[in-house]
Amino acid sequence: MKKIDIVKNRFVFIIPSFVFHFLFYLLPIILMIILAFFSWDLLNSPSFVGLENFKDLMEDKWFWNSIVVTLKYTFFTLPIVFITSLILGLLLQEENSFSKIMRVFFYWPYMIPMVAGGTMWKWLLSKDFGLVNHILKQLGFNPINWLDNPTLALFSVVIVQTWVLSGFMMMLYIVGLQALPEEFYEAASIDGASNFQKFWFITMPLLRNTHISVITLTIANCFRNFTIVYIMTTGGPGYATTVAPLYIYQKAFTDFRIGYASAGSIVILLISLVIAYVVRKVQERDLEGGKI
Amino acid sequence: MRKAIVIILAILFMIPVFWTVSSSLKSMNEIYRYPPTIFPQEISLEGYKNVINESQFPRYVANTLFVAIVSTVITVFISVSLGYGLAKGTFKYKNFFREIVTITLFITAQVIMVPLFVVIQQLGLIDSLWGLIIPAVFTPTASFTAYQYMRDLPNEFLESAQVDGANEWQIFFKIVLPMSRPLMAAISIFSFTWRWNDFVLPLIVINSGDKFTVQLALSALQGQYGIPWNEILAFSVLAIIPTLIIFLLFQNLFMKGLSAGGLKY
Repeated sequence: MKKIDIVKNRFVFIIPSFVFHFLFYLLPIILMIILAFFSWDLLNSPSFVGLENFKDLMEDKWFWNSIVVTLKYTFFTLPIVFITSLILGLLLQEENSFSKIMRVFFYWPYMIPMVAGGTMWKWLLSKDFGLVNHILKQLGFNPINWLDNPTLALFSVVIVQTWVLSGFMMMLYIVGLQALPEEFYEAASIDGASNFQKFWFITMPLLRNTHISVITLTIANCFRNFTIVYIMTTGGPGYATTVAPLYIYQKAFTDFRIGYASAGSIVILLISLVIAYVVRKVQERDLEGGKI
Repeated sequence: MRKAIVIILAILFMIPVFWTVSSSLKSMNEIYRYPPTIFPQEISLEGYKNVINESQFPRYVANTLFVAIVSTVITVFISVSLGYGLAKGTFKYKNFFREIVTITLFITAQVIMVPLFVVIQQLGLIDSLWGLIIPAVFTPTASFTAYQYMRDLPNEFLESAQVDGANEWQIFFKIVLPMSRPLMAAISIFSFTWRWNDFVLPLIVINSGDKFTVQLALSALQGQYGIPWNEILAFSVLAIIPTLIIFLLFQNLFMKGLSAGGLKY
């Protein structure tokens, strides 16, 4: 009898999915919290150390450095992606064959495996054989060692992240722009508004929800970026591009400090939750401000 | 004017790909020549030949295809099933389960990378291709998309089937699945490219060279002493070909998937 009930109320259909969800999302999160209180090298049995991992984290200047690198990385990437994708969205919002074809060129980097994308850029920026330095030399500048200089290496990775994300965010802007109501523009035209005024006072405020999506998704993507950095610089030179996920990876799978890495993951998770919360608050404040 | 700007920007965006393809077709000598040649002076397939003959390239492709296809089939099935259960079910705590899926959308895989490794290890899946398949089959994006799709599926079809005496399984297999073809197509395409492009999971799960995926092998090639650039570049080009084909074939679906909230997991 019971079995038939399960089928009738269709609970049975969500079971397969939730088995995998439990094993590979819920359980790891629970495990992460538990492991943070243990010292474990994967070989010997774990030993309980209380808050020691967290104490060590507080004093670990390279851990905090990795957080700062991640924040810097996000801080530089965000405005570049925002402006690039908005411009692309404005240029390609119309549904004609030209726009449809051109969108492919901007969206495609997002589809490329990041290992291949990172490799391509590493070649492009290579000191002796790269196209970028070749062009610089033609223009009379000295070649630049893009990936061996701490500041430039971070900048290079930011550019690649922009290359990956802009086309994707452009699509969000196109969807947003196409949904804008015509009436506002007609009214503004009657009032004699210039194109720039229309853009600044109508388009930009009306796109608020799209802006928030773009900003949130860009931050989220920057926070979980691992592959681009791993491929292009492996975190170097020194720790200049060691973003937080890469640092955690090194602690866990190079130094085999599983408990320590779990504690670090918790701190990173908390920081991203705070940022998600702040973005949401800003969103709500704007709503209360009545900007449509 | 607008078109000119767009075309210039598009060229800038495609330079890395162009430069890689062009360089991959040069001989080893020409790659290291200064000043660099923009187009290969004579086309050389040396890099491609080396990749395909010397390395275990066919094996990497076979591994990756196996992982991508098997996990995609399971992903499609469990996501459609979940979407149906959540959208058309009447069980207790339904909202609770729905919230869990939504919340999972915001969990970034890298944060749980370490404990995920421990779970995979405890299940005995380390250094096995199944260790790349099983942990990846639940994807929040696919689940969420399936749920949204199923909500719009008209109830009348389900009800009339019930009146005709069909049981739940018949309804699911004979009515729901056939009506979900567009959804299944979309999830298949996205899932295949995610799995083909995946790097972090293979990096932590696979140790032996004969179980490498394409992305892992490409990354490993760069760690070698005296970087064989012609091979790396040829490998990069080969690694993006499936993505390119799928993207060009299913362009519209990708673009639509975006507006329907189909985000990368």
